[in-house]
Amino acid sequence: MPTDSGQTDCRQRIKDAAAAGQAQAALDLIRQLSTDSAKPADMMFCAKTIADLGPLLEQQASIRRLKTYIVRSVTLEPVLPSLRVEAALARYLLDIKLGGFGSYIEELLDAAGAITKFQPDLLVVALDLEEIAGGLADLCATGAGEGVAQEIGECAARMEGLLRAFRSTNSARIVFHGLVVPDQSSLGDVGDANLPHSLPNAVAELNRRIARACHDIADCAFFDADHLAARFGRARWRDRRMFLASRLPVASQFFQSYAKALVRAFLPLFRAPRKVLCTDLDNTLWGGILGEDGPDGIATGNTYPGNCYLEYQRYLKQLSARGILLAIVSKNNRADVEEAFARRSADLALKLDDFVATKISWDEKSTALRELSEKLSLGLDSFVFVDDNPVECAAIQQHLPEVAVLSAPVDEPWRTVELLAQQPYFDVIAVTHDDAGRLQEYKAQAQRAELANTAASREDFLASLGIVCALQSALEAPLARAVQLLAKTNQFNLTTRRHSAAEVEGFAKANGGQAVVIRVRDRFGDAGVVGLALAQTTGETCRIDSLLLSCRVIGRGVETAMLAAIASQARRDGAARLLGEFIPTKKNSPCATYYSDHGFTLASAPEGASEGSVFYELNLTDSLPLMPVWIHTEGNTSHELSASPTLSS
Amino acid sequence: MSSQQVPPSLRNLLADVLEMSADEIMPQTNTDTVENWDSFRHLQVVLAIEGEYNVQLDPQRIPELTSVALLQAELEKKGIAL
Repeated sequence: MPTDSGQTDCRQRIKDAAAAGQAQAALDLIRQLSTDSAKPADMMFCAKTIADLGPLLEQQASIRRLKTYIVRSVTLEPVLPSLRVEAALARYLLDIKLGGFGSYIEELLDAAGAITKFQPDLLVVALDLEEIAGGLADLCATGAGEGVAQEIGECAARMEGLLRAFRSTNSARIVFHGLVVPDQSSLGDVGDANLPHSLPNAVAELNRRIARACHDIADCAFFDADHLAARFGRARWRDRRMFLASRLPVASQFFQSYAKALVRAFLPLFRAPRKVLCTDLDNTLWGGILGEDGPDGIATGNTYPGNCYLEYQRYLKQLSARGILLAIVSKNNRADVEEAFARRSADLALKLDDFVATKISWDEKSTALRELSEKLSLGLDSFVFVDDNPVECAAIQQHLPEVAVLSAPVDEPWRTVELLAQQPYFDVIAVTHDDAGRLQEYKAQAQRAELANTAASREDFLASLGIVCALQSALEAPLARAVQLLAKTNQFNLTTRRHSAAEVEGFAKANGGQAVVIRVRDRFGDAGVVGLALAQTTGETCRIDSLLLSCRVIGRGVETAMLAAIASQARRDGAARLLGEFIPTKKNSPCATYYSDHGFTLASAPEGASEGSVFYELNLTDSLPLMPVWIHTEGNTSHELSASPTLSS
Repeated sequence: MSSQQVPPSLRNLLADVLEMSADEIMPQTNTDTVENWDSFRHLQVVLAIEGEYNVQLDPQRIPELTSVALLQAELEKKGIAL
């Protein structure tokens, strides 16, 4: 058979690439094989290859190792190869340890037990209905509800209690595996649908309760396995024969979809979403070619095929509502595009104003993306590019491999939204208030750049901005935002430590600890929470563990305000010196001279410091770093600065 | 007996699942001679065979199919062309 020989050929090429030590090439081929074939044997072959390539993948393909502990009551061993493959394709190398059957309570609660010893980055809790709410099926037999609501409440509370108890002693990210709603019960389809306390209704309610609890626990995501099962058909999702014989929760034909979704569920716990979607216009945002068909000839609006494009525009508009920036990157005449948006506004879900930037020219699109990245101070790895032209897509893939490229299917325009939704580009487990205001903030940035060109001196310019910084404890500000900043800030980030919410809380609550967030606004807009510093005073030294700022506020003295706030609090905690740490990465050169710019001198590394770190110190007994004069401050931390008796510079 | 007596498709499949070289898969290869062929691995063997040959094995027979020869015989009995 041709497909089989194709597979054999692909496998041979994977072997060759692996033997030659070309880890990235091997991974690309594994992606191809896993797209063409999801046979268990092929996945096992791929998983083995990935395991053997482990260290090379870490070096060559910047794949991160993730220690994963799975507590479970079902047989997950056969799924692990697919899970390893899908994780590697998302750039994570899973180091998996499975818990025992039915011993999950001890495992989760024993702070000195197997989980703590393993020190996982990720904990997956995969329990089945029997384990979470074993009595529910019988209680639901009449559909009348005697005790059902109470049982649901108790089971959800028990799970929440377990997760919270675990969270209080361990900062591993958590994925809780939701229940698959049973496809049938003794009430039959009609009873299941109409009786409020049927088993399917009860399990759906239990899922909702547990999901809500997960939402309230730091770094905990709910994996909606039922949503996934429903997508493929609940009746086929589980092979009852294999479930009853071996407690296998998913039919083997779905291992790969299951693994892909499970990986997608944990990604947002470790990785920031992409931030910019660049869309082409012709045959992507609308149908047809504007230059040939004219503004009245392009397809968009309520009737087919225009509604395919309208659906895509609405999807983009919704992304924009939660802070994803939209940009146009199109080879067209600007005047034509402006005319089209004006004349067809009733048929378009987006206005030109909804785009943070429009790159309409006949230049190379890779150049346009590079310029956009600079203008917005956002790395290319936060860009998504959507275009119907395979040549443009290939060019971006080749020149800017960090950009995620989605090829819009020109002959099947109804599929564009589906293809976009299948990708985890913009996945988040929390949306913060600051996300929603991002478009205005980035537009304000462009206005500031204009003012900078007209103001006489730097200080005049900065004073004219009317910058106000509010310094707060991370516990007072939305903690989710602080953690989001830790996860996604790469450029102005002195140590790039990706702490979890629990760890940030640790700094905020510790004696002598500080977790300071900074909110910034000026006359053009409110940037929201844009920075975070974590520090700990022990004895005479205040060590700054992390200090990071969103790039869009750099160069306005906010970075100095941050330091002034930490220093004054450190002084109050009894510190005589600040110890700063810089860990160079590929991306954080913008802050390499941060400490020396602020009068710090090189210091010797404290005990236990990692090798790549450079340390700086500043004596606090003579003077403290000052708040820049053009910045107005709000919040507890800053007021006390002026009252500090040691301030004498 | 040699690995040549095992049909290539079955041999390659078992090599993947048991993480061995295809040359090492002989008819007499069984759960006692292969260290990592435990009950979980056996489940993976069964799932891989079911996926490859589009066949369902009887859960009661599964624990008894403890060698390459027995697996092969079971498939042949079900009329699968190997």
